[in-house]
Amino acid sequence: MVGEKHHSPTTFLVRKAVIATMTADIPLGLKKKGLQLLQLVRPLLGGIVGLFLVYRLYVVLIVEHPYGPDTWTRLLIAGIILGGVYSLIAIGYTLVYGILFMINFAHGDVMMIGAFSGYFIFEAFNALKVGLDGKSNFLNSQPIISIIIAFIVGMTVAALTGYFLEKIAYRPLRKAPRLVPLISAIGASIFLENAVELLFSPQLRNYTNPDILRRGAGWTLVINHSNVIIPYTGVFSFVLSAVLLVILYTIVRKTRLGRAMRAVALDKKTAALMGVDVDQTISQTFILSGALAGAAGVMYGIHNGLVYYYTGFIPGIKAFTAAVLGGIGNIPGAMLGGMFLGVIESMGPAALGIDFQLKDVLAFVILILVLIFKPSGLLGESLAEEKV
Amino acid sequence: MNKAALRQSFNTGIIFGIVHIFCVLVAFNAMLGVLLAEIVHVTSSVTAPVVGSLIVYGILLGIWAGITSTRRQREASNGQRLLASLVTGASFGFLAALLVGIFQAMISLNINPRDYLTNLSFPFMRACLYSLPAFLGITANFFTFLVSSFLGGLMVVGWNLSAVASVRHHIVSAPKTWMANIRTGSAKKQRTWKYVFYALLFVVVAILPIEWGSYWNYVIGTVGLYVIMGLGLNIIVGLSGQLVLGYIAFFAIGAYTVALLNAPVPHNLAVGFWPSLILAVILAGLSGLLLGLPLMRLRGDYLAIVTLGFGEIIRILLNSDVLTSFSGGPRGVQGIEGPTLFGKPFNDVEYMYLIILAVLLGIYVYGRLQHSRTGRAWLAIREDETVARATGVNTVNYKLLALVIGAGFAGLAGGISAAMNQFIGPSDQSLMASINVLCEIIVGGMGNIPGTLLGAFALKGLPELLREVENYRMLAFGALLVAMMIIRPEGLIPSQRHTLELPEETTEPSSPENTNASDSNGSTEKPHD
Repeated sequence: MVGEKHHSPTTFLVRKAVIATMTADIPLGLKKKGLQLLQLVRPLLGGIVGLFLVYRLYVVLIVEHPYGPDTWTRLLIAGIILGGVYSLIAIGYTLVYGILFMINFAHGDVMMIGAFSGYFIFEAFNALKVGLDGKSNFLNSQPIISIIIAFIVGMTVAALTGYFLEKIAYRPLRKAPRLVPLISAIGASIFLENAVELLFSPQLRNYTNPDILRRGAGWTLVINHSNVIIPYTGVFSFVLSAVLLVILYTIVRKTRLGRAMRAVALDKKTAALMGVDVDQTISQTFILSGALAGAAGVMYGIHNGLVYYYTGFIPGIKAFTAAVLGGIGNIPGAMLGGMFLGVIESMGPAALGIDFQLKDVLAFVILILVLIFKPSGLLGESLAEEKV
Repeated sequence: MNKAALRQSFNTGIIFGIVHIFCVLVAFNAMLGVLLAEIVHVTSSVTAPVVGSLIVYGILLGIWAGITSTRRQREASNGQRLLASLVTGASFGFLAALLVGIFQAMISLNINPRDYLTNLSFPFMRACLYSLPAFLGITANFFTFLVSSFLGGLMVVGWNLSAVASVRHHIVSAPKTWMANIRTGSAKKQRTWKYVFYALLFVVVAILPIEWGSYWNYVIGTVGLYVIMGLGLNIIVGLSGQLVLGYIAFFAIGAYTVALLNAPVPHNLAVGFWPSLILAVILAGLSGLLLGLPLMRLRGDYLAIVTLGFGEIIRILLNSDVLTSFSGGPRGVQGIEGPTLFGKPFNDVEYMYLIILAVLLGIYVYGRLQHSRTGRAWLAIREDETVARATGVNTVNYKLLALVIGAGFAGLAGGISAAMNQFIGPSDQSLMASINVLCEIIVGGMGNIPGTLLGAFALKGLPELLREVENYRMLAFGALLVAMMIIRPEGLIPSQRHTLELPEETTEPSSPENTNASDSNGSTEKPHD
């Protein structure tokens, strides 16, 4: 060992001092008063953040009063719509984390692939001419069928991506230390993004919606003498995500597959002893979470209009935030967390009077604060204790 | 040959076929032509590749398929193994022929898929048909893969014949035993080799910066900065086992410290390079401490996601209009005053020496820490935090110390980088940069110095050499990361700590499963990298 050689007295003393500092029981705290610096950090930080929040809210809402109720309604609507998409993606994180205890870093990219599949279906139907005169296209003469097919294809492709992702990148690493699958997931995420970039070029692509789901069109609400539009696309994606969430919840609670998933999440070995095919259940979990992400992707495309290879990354990270916010492993928690995050992200910058460019900062700050103050999330984690 | 073996060979061909289709759709096959064009001086591009290069690509991939397929039939006789390679070649060739058949159809019907699949221009598709008429081109594609797969099978079978085996023994095993002799030889011999190596390295390092010219100084300087960052991240990830994904944020803090204290535009402080560099290191370390303090009780992957969030916060803040008056906003900080030597500013050679000095300092600090009591405490924490705490290691302090030192390294690299480029902007601070550094230490081998050096050269130096493959670099990284984790999670140059401490059998209890898994899955991943 290099460290056991002789040293000059100064070096020796410095080493002694460093070692003493590092190995002392409570070097960061004041032992006599029974206080530790670490214990002080959280209340201190909490106090600062709380004071800042109260101060900004007071200044913006009571003193400056910049927006009327119409703007707040607009922001709320945007937030709820965004929250629906976040919820769908967050469920995927929660399902996988609940079973494998790994962050499926590539989940956002699975969503992006779903969005691209929907885009291609819409493009194809838009180019497909029907009718005797050959002037109207399939997309607008049969919009309902087009939308259904787009969602089915988007969900299927994303589910397949999820399935193969697990099979190729995660399954061989199931017994490895926890960092290893996470790094593999990061690699898979980079691979998927760049594969899509190289295949379909890095350009932004404009979703072609059927006419009944035009972007920007919607019901008009008059609040405070100004029009607030409730967009059709937004209502559509919100309703659809609610329906999908209900379906998923039923699957997890009521079906055989759901029971198997919960059993595997609780204890893989015992589940295997009880006759549950663990590998198959994990595959099915990835298929489920991939399908939800695919639906979220098509929705995102229909509502926001632009997709490109990096589309999935930021929503993916934020959906993970939402999953942590609600308590990871907890399905209602992920739904609530998604909604909460969507609304906060949309209304927060206005309420705190900060720049709208910083809405992503707000999301990440929330993530950090949740992890510091309540790592188990709003509704509590549901993870097997020993694995954590 | 039984049914299962037949099906296995068939499936191998299908997998290779899918990989091939993917490679063609991203025009990776044309890439080889561009690389070959460098050597044999023909003009080839991704949009209009030379037919010969596509054939070479096909033959290489086909041989690989044949080798993979033949190797899977371990127990079979030689004839059966050759049959296996033929079956693989046939299914592979069928998919390839199907693909070019579709190309031919698109050419005949004049459908241009370029709007959606960006690489499929008509010249590219014609080149994929080897510029032959329809039927001939498709058949030629089929036979390229069939024949080359068979060739691969022949190579495997021939490789094991006794005549070749003795030659192989000398070529493959001799260097191995030679290396092993050095490694296990007497301490004196080892030390001699070490000194010879260091002396050579010193000569190279002392002379080269003058000889290189500014371009190579810039490239190698960037590699050097990445080495420093890699060492720092290695302390955090490799030694103490905490995954930090927003590492570039500390780099940004260091770089902006030097930039804001020395640039004329936002503040005009003109503090001077050296004090601000020290301040950069201190500030970066301090931010590591502040970030780490509240997070020490979190699980490993939560720490990863929080630091990722921290990195993004820093980037978004720097990029936003809010801080423009303080840190230059999206346009960054320009005209940063660097260090001076006898009154005149550093030129590229002097920067190179500065970086080399910094790298040496980093290696020294890292080496000393690694084998010290602190380093052993970190290793204990990495292996099992609960056990480490039970044996009297103050885990919180040691983890914080690792974060602080690692962040300090990044601050140092950031400070030097800001002065060297005389510019710093928010676009350099992306998440990809953090992941690049992480890839560097993973590819090289976590927790050791040679691995970090190798990783930095592989990830920052190679792309500069191979500018043409720039587009495919990140794609390859992604695939490589996954493949590395499956096949060789300990990196190219694994840390020797494990073998020192534990007998061979108990180092990795799960290794049999891992090797099996890599056999069945490796083949689907490898062709991308």
